[in-house]
Amino acid sequence: MSFYADSDYPVRQDLADIHEAQMSQLSEPGTWGNSAQRIAIAAEARRAAYDAGQLEAPDGGDPEPEVPLPGVAKGVVRKLAVSPRDFLEDSYREARDGGLSDEEYVEIVGIVSRMVDLDVFARGIGVPLRPLPSPGPGEPSRVRLETAKQELAFVPTIPNPPEGGAEAAELYGGHPMPYIMRAVSLVPDECRRHVELEQVQYLPLPNIRIPDYQHHEGFSRSQVEIVAGRVSALNECFY
Amino acid sequence: MQPDRDVGVPGGAELLAFSDAVVGNDRAALDEARRAVAAAIGPQAVPAASAIAANFSKNDRVANGCGIPVDEMALKRTEEIREQLGLNDYRSARNTFRHYA
Repeated sequence: MSFYADSDYPVRQDLADIHEAQMSQLSEPGTWGNSAQRIAIAAEARRAAYDAGQLEAPDGGDPEPEVPLPGVAKGVVRKLAVSPRDFLEDSYREARDGGLSDEEYVEIVGIVSRMVDLDVFARGIGVPLRPLPSPGPGEPSRVRLETAKQELAFVPTIPNPPEGGAEAAELYGGHPMPYIMRAVSLVPDECRRHVELEQVQYLPLPNIRIPDYQHHEGFSRSQVEIVAGRVSALNECFY
Repeated sequence: MQPDRDVGVPGGAELLAFSDAVVGNDRAALDEARRAVAAAIGPQAVPAASAIAANFSKNDRVANGCGIPVDEMALKRTEEIREQLGLNDYRSARNTFRHYA
């Protein structure tokens, strides 16, 4: 059964499958946080959006997270979830000064961004938010790629090939990637999931320079760019 | 972009209203905007527009959260449109201009 079987509108099966898999993956440990911590991050992002009126809480509410988030993590999650236009370098500096490592910070940014993504989609098609999974066992891998370096973002990133070596070749499919596709590369699993959503929701990246490429049936590239441009303008995202 | 302007694309006004509503806090407006998109373009446009809104909601947070810059070549290519739309006034523009002053 489709993840969005209750939708009144036809949802592509490949998109539904990826959304379902990404929600389910929260029950697995990440690179820097365990499953309970990752679910607590997702739950806090939702709570911030309920408080801001940007999401509607499901009937009965959400289960309480099994672990509390440190105050510094909670601050990053809540601000990024509901007010990306206000999320500037000082927000990053406060997070680092508050004790988050760059790696932990990037994993939080990745989870919040993907959680908002799934929730905006559900709200857009008019179905209740999909339930968060229960935490699963296991510890984070804590693997940091040695090729990560400080480029031009706040956080270290994996450089494009050839500088990024074999790791960049694997992560970016052997091609240079724009910054938006490399931003969370300090945590490669977050990068893979971010790109996975990009390809199924926006378009397959190799087709990005084909002006009339149509990824969604009955929905032109011009119509795509109207929504993309308007949402990014509301979020005041210069990139 | 002005939501009430004719953008010259079928369903353009309905898509602008939907974009505002899906990231806004007026559920009744969103429900109405969703119905308007379906009526103007077709039912398939609702999940398509939702997927794009979701995707760029993600990307905007990734971009601002990680402080990534627009690369220099794209910056030159978009000089006129950025000026017209006032994009240089966004506070996140600093993530780019701190490198390419």
